[in-house]
Amino acid sequence: MTSRVILHVGTPKTGTSYLQDVLFRNQERLVEDGIHYVADRFDAHFLAALDLMRLPWGGLETEAVGAWDALAEEVRRREGTAIISHEILATASRQQVGRALTSLGHEPGGTGTEVHLVISVRDLVRQIPAEWQENVKHRRELSYGTFLDEIRDPERATRIGAWFWGVQEIPDILNRWGHDVPPERIHLVTVPPSGAPRDLLWQRFSRAFGLDGLVLDLTGERANPSLGAPETALLRRINRAVNGVLDPPDYRPLVRELLAHQTLSQRTGSPRLTLPPDAVSWVTAIEESWIAEIEARGYDVVGDIDDLRGRPSSAPYADPDRPAERAVAGAAVDAIKALLVDNARVREEAGRLSAELHDTKSALDRAYLRPSYQRREAIVRRLQSSWGGRRLLGLYRTVRGRRQHG
Amino acid sequence: MAAEGPPGRPPRPAGERRAWGWVAHLRDGGTTPWCDWSAPAEPAGLFLPGAQQLELLRRINLASDRRIGPDLSRRVLEASAPGRGRPDLELVGASSGSDFGPRPVDPSDLPAEELIRVAVGLVADDLTADSPVSTGDSVWVRPWRTRYRLVGDPWVTDVWRDDLRRRGRPPGGATPRIVVVGGALDALLANTYAARAFDTGVPSWADWVGAFAARNTLAPRVDLAQVADNWARRSSAGSIRVVLDPRVAPRLLGVRRLPKVEPPGATGVELARLVASVLGLSTTPARRTALLRGVLAPRIRQAGAGARLAVPEEHRDWLTTRADRMYARLTAADYPVDGGPADLAPALEPGVTTPERADVLRLAMRLLTMRDLKTGGNAE
Repeated sequence: MTSRVILHVGTPKTGTSYLQDVLFRNQERLVEDGIHYVADRFDAHFLAALDLMRLPWGGLETEAVGAWDALAEEVRRREGTAIISHEILATASRQQVGRALTSLGHEPGGTGTEVHLVISVRDLVRQIPAEWQENVKHRRELSYGTFLDEIRDPERATRIGAWFWGVQEIPDILNRWGHDVPPERIHLVTVPPSGAPRDLLWQRFSRAFGLDGLVLDLTGERANPSLGAPETALLRRINRAVNGVLDPPDYRPLVRELLAHQTLSQRTGSPRLTLPPDAVSWVTAIEESWIAEIEARGYDVVGDIDDLRGRPSSAPYADPDRPAERAVAGAAVDAIKALLVDNARVREEAGRLSAELHDTKSALDRAYLRPSYQRREAIVRRLQSSWGGRRLLGLYRTVRGRRQHG
Repeated sequence: MAAEGPPGRPPRPAGERRAWGWVAHLRDGGTTPWCDWSAPAEPAGLFLPGAQQLELLRRINLASDRRIGPDLSRRVLEASAPGRGRPDLELVGASSGSDFGPRPVDPSDLPAEELIRVAVGLVADDLTADSPVSTGDSVWVRPWRTRYRLVGDPWVTDVWRDDLRRRGRPPGGATPRIVVVGGALDALLANTYAARAFDTGVPSWADWVGAFAARNTLAPRVDLAQVADNWARRSSAGSIRVVLDPRVAPRLLGVRRLPKVEPPGATGVELARLVASVLGLSTTPARRTALLRGVLAPRIRQAGAGARLAVPEEHRDWLTTRADRMYARLTAADYPVDGGPADLAPALEPGVTTPERADVLRLAMRLLTMRDLKTGGNAE
């Protein structure tokens, strides 16, 4: 039975996709050192999180039925240390946290399986624009201004506000997840500021998860590149135009992947999404309150608590709700180009498949013209025209192991 | 619930003890609002239930004409609201004192939507614990029956098909008569929506209709001309007949009568839609459909599903135009049609375009207490 579980529960936009990719790709290597990342597909822990929290997610939840219990059972079966990681776990309620911990063998007061909580955290100055952009990449149409208004509402009465703080408010996440976990088993990994060495965040993850010294394949596969302000504005306009006519299975590959990730994210010269100047003092006050709370609680900080003090950009603020139209037009041309190239590829493929279908149909028609086939068809038609004939045909087909449908 | 916290812990604040007293009161069937409650009690668990859960239990106690069983009250207090929305909220006057997290609330001020989220999860749990009733496929099949296929309005055809099966007249057979069931286009649209709500789940009624209006198209089963064309292309199909007047259908199907099908109630459909979304998180698609149609639908009918669904006013002209075009296509294609253009035009009967949340909550609570009564949940 697993003696130790490292439960990584958030937060989004803190390098979690990269971490999960590395863990997934190196499963066999990790097992050699008694570390288990139990996952038969790269999004296994995501599905488990959806199941635990009963979260719909654009149809993917149908693949998540029973996923949490299955994961927990497998984790308990293994010997050594197990790692579970998904950032949306941050928003679990106390009841859901209780169920999760119990299923992993945790017992009240911190006895039973030794559960360690890891939360990766980034300054709010970067998190806020990143979360809005993520909303837009998931079909949302709300403006940046509206998003800010909703997260500033102290009632958190909207889905946007409730979700944002549920996955970002570090002390509240710690209250819910850490309610019954000894403080020495709670670890915060801070995301370094922009400009830090590229591998610094990985070094911190490695230390927090006990992976130091292991030779792992650290190639990143899934990227979630960010867009500039004009590109995000364009994407929002696209959402408004297509949300009523484009189904989710088409939106994901065409808009999110082809346009956002593969095309618009390449425009790295455009102004970045940042916090508006009038929100800086509000965000700074929140960050300071979080830092004070974390320091007071004495949790293990892997990194530097000062990383949670965001550094507002010194560049002129680029408002994505009032973007430079020339920049948006440039982004739109790139998007149209990408769609045309992809459409040409699809047409070529359709042409090839059409030719294949034509050849197949021709072969079938030739088969139907054979005298033996035509004789059999005539007999079947004759039998079908009478009650006795249909009974006989049904009996024949039953004996042959087939039943007619339709 | 688990025992109280670690030994040596300082005494609980007065507000928290007052809240535990309220929890005990509600578990005993109490209905006193939080703001009027004062008696304290020792903790009965590691943490207090959320304000949504507590208020839902209070309202269930209030609405029920009998004391609900301990199992239902335990489940309500331990439930987490599925889906996105506000997390479990603390009670004002009994919060942990943390400066972080959502603001504590007076549970009486919570909107119905917050309680519906919790209630819908519980209704879904009740369904997964039950089994759909068998449709009786083992009935003797009449060899002289009319061979048919019933297509079109799914709300009506499902009921008729089940009835015919029970009478030994299942669909299918060689060269069956294709009976395309229609009616007033707004009713057809509402029926199709309701059938989807009790199947795979759908967006809200207004969004669903709006999406079709935006694309100037109709849901596949609603476009009777397309349905007829699809069947005409099948070599195994027999004659095709479009029925806009339900009185004609029994004769075409070789029976004297068919059951009257009540239009779906807006409140019931909305509840089914919400429950379907949650059920999709805990069961397979096939079982979800079976539970929604075989278990939830009869319970909703018994509890009362409310007034029928009405097409939002901004889409009525569009629908009227679509009805005219559909009739013209049917007659141009020479399909025999029982009924005239007036039978296909929107009937615009009075109804509800957006179900009241309070009504949806009431229905959900009624279903919970009905099942609690049925399973014999008695007070200790």
